[in-house]
Parts: sequence; structure tokens; C-alpha cells
Amino acid sequence: MNDVELALRVFIVDDEPPARTRLRDLLNDCGAQLALEIVGEAGNGREALEKLTSIAADVVLLDIRMPQMDGIELAQHLNKLPKPPVVIFTTAYDAYAIKAFDLRVIDYLLKPIRLGRLFEALNRARLAVPVQTEVLRELLPEPRRNLSIHERGKIHLIPIEQVLYLRAELKYVTVRTAEREYLIEESLNALEKEFLTRFVRIHRNCLIAKEAIAGFEKGGDEGESGWMVRLKGLEDLLAISRRQQHIVKEFSRA
Amino acid sequence: MNKALSIRQNTRQHGLPNFGNLGTLLRILIICNSLALLQAIIMSDSWLDVAQQMLQINTLLTPVLLSSMLLLWLIQPWLNRISYRYGTLAVMMLVVTVSVSIYHFGGELYRPPERIDSYFDLVRCGLLSAVVCGVLLFYFRLRSKMLSRALSDARLQVLRARIRPHFLFNTINAVLGIVRTKPKQAEAALEDMADLFRMAMSDAQDLVPLGTEIQLSKQYLALEQLRMGDRLSVNWHIRDVPDELLIPPLLLQPLLENAVYHGIEPLTEGGSINVTLNRNADRLRLKIENPCPECADLSHQGNRVALRNIRERLDLLFDVEASYQVESGKDFYRVEVIFPFVSRAKERAQS
Repeated sequence: MNDVELALRVFIVDDEPPARTRLRDLLNDCGAQLALEIVGEAGNGREALEKLTSIAADVVLLDIRMPQMDGIELAQHLNKLPKPPVVIFTTAYDAYAIKAFDLRVIDYLLKPIRLGRLFEALNRARLAVPVQTEVLRELLPEPRRNLSIHERGKIHLIPIEQVLYLRAELKYVTVRTAEREYLIEESLNALEKEFLTRFVRIHRNCLIAKEAIAGFEKGGDEGESGWMVRLKGLEDLLAISRRQQHIVKEFSRA
Repeated sequence: MNKALSIRQNTRQHGLPNFGNLGTLLRILIICNSLALLQAIIMSDSWLDVAQQMLQINTLLTPVLLSSMLLLWLIQPWLNRISYRYGTLAVMMLVVTVSVSIYHFGGELYRPPERIDSYFDLVRCGLLSAVVCGVLLFYFRLRSKMLSRALSDARLQVLRARIRPHFLFNTINAVLGIVRTKPKQAEAALEDMADLFRMAMSDAQDLVPLGTEIQLSKQYLALEQLRMGDRLSVNWHIRDVPDELLIPPLLLQPLLENAVYHGIEPLTEGGSINVTLNRNADRLRLKIENPCPECADLSHQGNRVALRNIRERLDLLFDVEASYQVESGKDFYRVEVIFPFVSRAKERAQS
């Protein structure tokens, strides 16, 4: 194969500076026997995602426990890149994640990281394919904190608390924030399941954020039940289907 | 160092209560008066009568209780020296003697003059006080047994909580990260780690000087700062607190560890922890305040384990004389602990 000749491009993500230094040192040590190149590093998930949209990497060494967005969520967003990198997770101690990784044969390194293990993992990574997003989702006990949108070669992160509603279109789901709309390729049912506490279904094709509910109005013309919901910060009303009418009662009481 | 227990700690090795502790006194008063109320209700036929009966009982009960407790407090040092068996006997005898003599010398205050069988009355009075006293002693023994198990459990938990695997492995990894570029700093970090673990693994039950605990906490924070860099900052506000004050060990450090783990680590930009230490008469007031991004969802069990453990230890050591308060808002978390301390001088005087 041709690309064995090419240097393996490695990117480091860890929130602790000394941990990044350690990885850099070890990668340099590996360099003697393995063609590789450190293409960059980041201290948190958002920064990593930003950098990786412009820097191509084959392997990402990714810390699991990081502030704001943990490694497993970041790996899901990374899968939206045109050419997703292979992720090797690093963790000091995370009993839950380790068990889950072993079960699904996902590669990870335990801190303190050993040169030999890193070397093996990098060698395996050459031939590996990225872990599927669905599998990563199973690993994450909590819902994601962000939705990621792939748009014109860039990846946007939208914090889930900014989302007002999600509506299924033909192939896509529209994500509506106060500012604008985005399109994502995910299923509305899966989103409903993942964010059960945050959203409520008002229609076969629509989930609204419970926190965004501003009030209910009777709007005769198009409504199947006659009830419409008004969301904070939005002009247009959303129709509530006959079957979901009960939510009017539930939420106007509160 | 066994004299270090002279701080108003609640449990004696053998199970006799400490009669100088406010909690013990309150418990005795409440239990005796509840029994008296029960008695009053049994003997009465109307609510007004209950009040009357209570008054009647209390004219005898209160002087007996107060003088017994005063005497017991006075002979406490002697009680501590003898075995539990003799101690119990001595306490019972003292209480019976006090109650019988008050009853006897109180004369017509307690006895209607027409009663003739004063011998029966005296024996009944002595018997009742002996039984109540026995029940109370039994209660305190059970309580101290229960709590001393809680203490050893708590210590185990402290141990486990303090050597949080997350902290251990991350710190080793961080030291490895700097060992090539900053060997001096790596050395210092390993030394701090050794001190921290030595303290965690020692099973000293004694009190430690406040200065030592503060020093240990600073070493711990230095290790965390090594990992987190300038994301972690700590402001110390120590006022009017001499380093020689004696406090139970491992009170401050686990609270700081909580603040770092739950307060600072989840923040990308980091934050600062405020530690306030000051004196309030003969008590020490310790306040730790940190940002808390996860305060909204209280599903963080680890937090509660460490806090419950510290609360249990305070309960055990000081009963009602220590207070413990947690206050949390949308984005902050504050723990305030107030407890009695002893100063070196006082301890020396007592030993």
C-alpha cells in the first residue's frame, strides 16, 4: 500500500498542558521507528473541532474527561468531517468508559501512557476505520451538549440549550435557534429519545424545547386541533396535532 | 498524644458519655422530660391535668437532673480513668443518691403529709432513677458504638475518596509530562505527592495543628495546578487564626478536592476557589466557595459521599457543637463548617 510510506498525521486533544507535553515527547520517541508527524493540538473540544476542519489528521489522541464537551461527544462530531480521523481515546480512570470500550473493541490508552502501548495503538490506527457514530452514541450515558452541523466544509456546534425546535423535513431535520435554521442528517425519533427531558413532541414531525414554550393560542385556519404553540423569540406559531393536544393542558398549568 | 482527645469530643473509648458536651446534656434533658411527659399523660384524665402533673414531676425531676449532671461533670476526669463497668456503677450510684436525698430532704415539697409509707416512696424514687439512668447509659453506649463504626467506615471512605484514582493517575501522567523539560518541578511534585499520600494512609486519630493541614492542602493544590495550569486559582483569607490550633485531620483537603473536581475542572476557562478561615470565640469557621457549573443537576454522587463523610465525622467528634452548612446557587457552591478547636496551650494545661 502506498500510504504506509506517508507520515501518520497525529493530532492531540487534552485539557491538561503537561499531559499534552507527555504525548508530544512519546510521539517524538515513536518517530524513530514510525513515520509520523504531529499536526497540532487543542485544549478543549471546541478548539479541536475548529482546528481539525482546516488541518487534516489521520489519528486523534483524545482525552475522555474534558470540560464542557467530553471526548466521546467530540468523536461523534469529528465523524462529520469529510475524512474522519481514527480516534484513540486516552483516560486516567473511567471505569464506565473502559468497560464499554473493551466490549466494542475500541482502542484506548490508559494514563500514565506507555511508549509501547502508544506505538502499538498508532500502528493499529493506520489500518483502522473510525468508530461509527451510532456506537459512540451508545457509549455516552448522557445526551450530547451540542449538535454539530456540517456546512460548507465547516462544522458548527450548536449548544443544545439554544435549540428552539426540531422539525423533520424530507431527508433532513431542521434545527431552529433564535437566529437561524440549520439542517442535520439525523432521525427525529433518535433525537427525541436522546433529549427526552429537554424536548416534547407536538406533532408527528416536530419537537419543541420545553423551556422555549411561551404560550398556546387557538388558531383555526390550518391547525388540526386548532391549538398552536408560541415559542420565545420566534414570530411564527407551530401547530399541535390532535393526538398531542394533551400537552396544551400539561404545559399551560405549569 | 492521647491527651489530644481533651477537645470536647463526644465519644470516650469505653462508652460513657462526656457530661461536658452540650449534645449529651441536651439529650439527657430531652429524654428525661419526654419520659416525664409520658408519665404525666398516663396519670391524668384531662389536658389541664397533664400540665399540672408535669409541674408536679418537674419539681423533683429538674433539681435531680441538674445537680446530677453538675456532679457528673465534676467527677468526669475521675470517671474517665476507671473502667466502663465501674464507671456505670459510679454514675448510677451517684444519680440514685442525689435523687433519694433530694426527695428525702425536700420533705413536704414532694410528699403529701398524710402519706405514711415514706419507706416505699423512697425506694420507689431510687428505683425509678436507677432505671432511667440505666436506660440512658445504655442508650449512650449504643450510640457511641454505632458512631465508632461510622468513624472507621468514614476513615476508609476518606482514604478511598482522597486517593481518587482519577487524581492519582492524572498526576503521575502530568509529572511524566514535565520530567524531561522541568525536572526540578517534577521532583517537587513527587515530594508533595508523597506527603499527601503519607497523610492519607496514616491512621492517626489525633488532632493535627491547623498549620499542617493548611500546608498539606497547599501541596495538594500545587499538584492540581501542575495539571490545570492557570485554570485553577485559590484565594486564601486567613484571619486571626494561629497555626498551632488543633483540629481533626483531613477536614480541609477533601473539601478542596471536591471544589476542584466538581467546580473548576468542568470549566474550560477555569475559576477560583475562595477559602476563608477565621475564629468565632472558641470555634473555627471554615468556608470554601467555588463556582459550580454542574450545580443545576445534582446527580453528582461522588460529591455527596465525601461531604457526608465529613459531616459524620463532625457529628461524631462534636455532636451539636459543630455546624455544617451547604449552600448552592445556580453557579456557585459554598460549604461552611464551624467547630470547636483546642489551642496548644490549653491542651498542655489539661494534660
